[in-house]
Amino acid sequence: MSDHEQVRQLLALSAAGLLDADEERLVSEHARQCTACAAELDEFAALSAGLSALPVPQPPADLVRRISALLAAEADRRQGAIFAGAAAVFACAFVLLTGQILRMLAGDSAVLVWLSWVGISSILGAASALLLASRRRLERRIV
Amino acid sequence: MIYQAAIDESFPVAEPTQVGRLRSGDPAALAEAVGQYQHRLYRYFLRLVRDPASADDLFQQTWLHVVRQLHRYDPARSFDTWLFAIAHNAAMDLLRRRPGERLEDHEFTLPAREPDALSAVLAGERAAILAAAMAALPALYREALTLRFEEGMKMEEIAEVTHAPLSTVKSRVQRGLEAMKQKLCKEDIL
Repeated sequence: MSDHEQVRQLLALSAAGLLDADEERLVSEHARQCTACAAELDEFAALSAGLSALPVPQPPADLVRRISALLAAEADRRQGAIFAGAAAVFACAFVLLTGQILRMLAGDSAVLVWLSWVGISSILGAASALLLASRRRLERRIV
Repeated sequence: MIYQAAIDESFPVAEPTQVGRLRSGDPAALAEAVGQYQHRLYRYFLRLVRDPASADDLFQQTWLHVVRQLHRYDPARSFDTWLFAIAHNAAMDLLRRRPGERLEDHEFTLPAREPDALSAVLAGERAAILAAAMAALPALYREALTLRFEEGMKMEEIAEVTHAPLSTVKSRVQRGLEAMKQKLCKEDIL
């Protein structure tokens, strides 16, 4: 490939500033002697300058407000999930500890009492979780 | 002649302390970041998908992804590049599902000027003509050009955002510029 052909392949990238120093030197030296390549390089440069100066499209006016509200709800949901997980772990530990204490204080007969306690607290806990979840869904619909 | 990359100083980027606040889930830091990147990210999506409603959806998807994946972000890397890589993945998912969309067509030719572009010529709106010519390129060429010329990204940054080798990035910029120049010269715009 002749120098001229080789340089022609590089003109667009030269205008885009994507050549290394050696390639850039080759292009500028050739363009000083070759009017066709110099003219083409000018056209690429004009195009590059035009592209970099394109007007910035305006996003919708409420974009930031909408997305911020959505992200705050997402952060809230994630935080809620962490709290729910921590509460579930705490509840399990509390129930098991209560069972152990009852057994130590009242012997094996306390197992029935303990099972009743576990059953009632589980049902109440599940009902609270469902109530909270439905309330959050309602709040999201309102927002 | 070397093109001087136009990094627009009017668009601020996330500072390391702000990234720390983002990672902690601070809603104020999130709102601040969304505001800071709204113009750049929206422009990137609009250039790629050419449709304001889809750009809006992608903007939302990208930020939700950012919130969910912030714990994976390595502060040693540029936040801009990480954010635009997420945006790239979201846009490519959408474009791949879109019927008739050409992501990278090696044999593409730019279509004849459309009526709105013609009126833009008559009105002397050179920027509108350039934007219309760019919009007619296949998606991956549009992306390479907007990241290089509008975002002012270096070749390595574009490669990181688009998950493409450096040679592919170069080739996309070159082919995109050549196709645009050929079309605009034919129409006496350049």
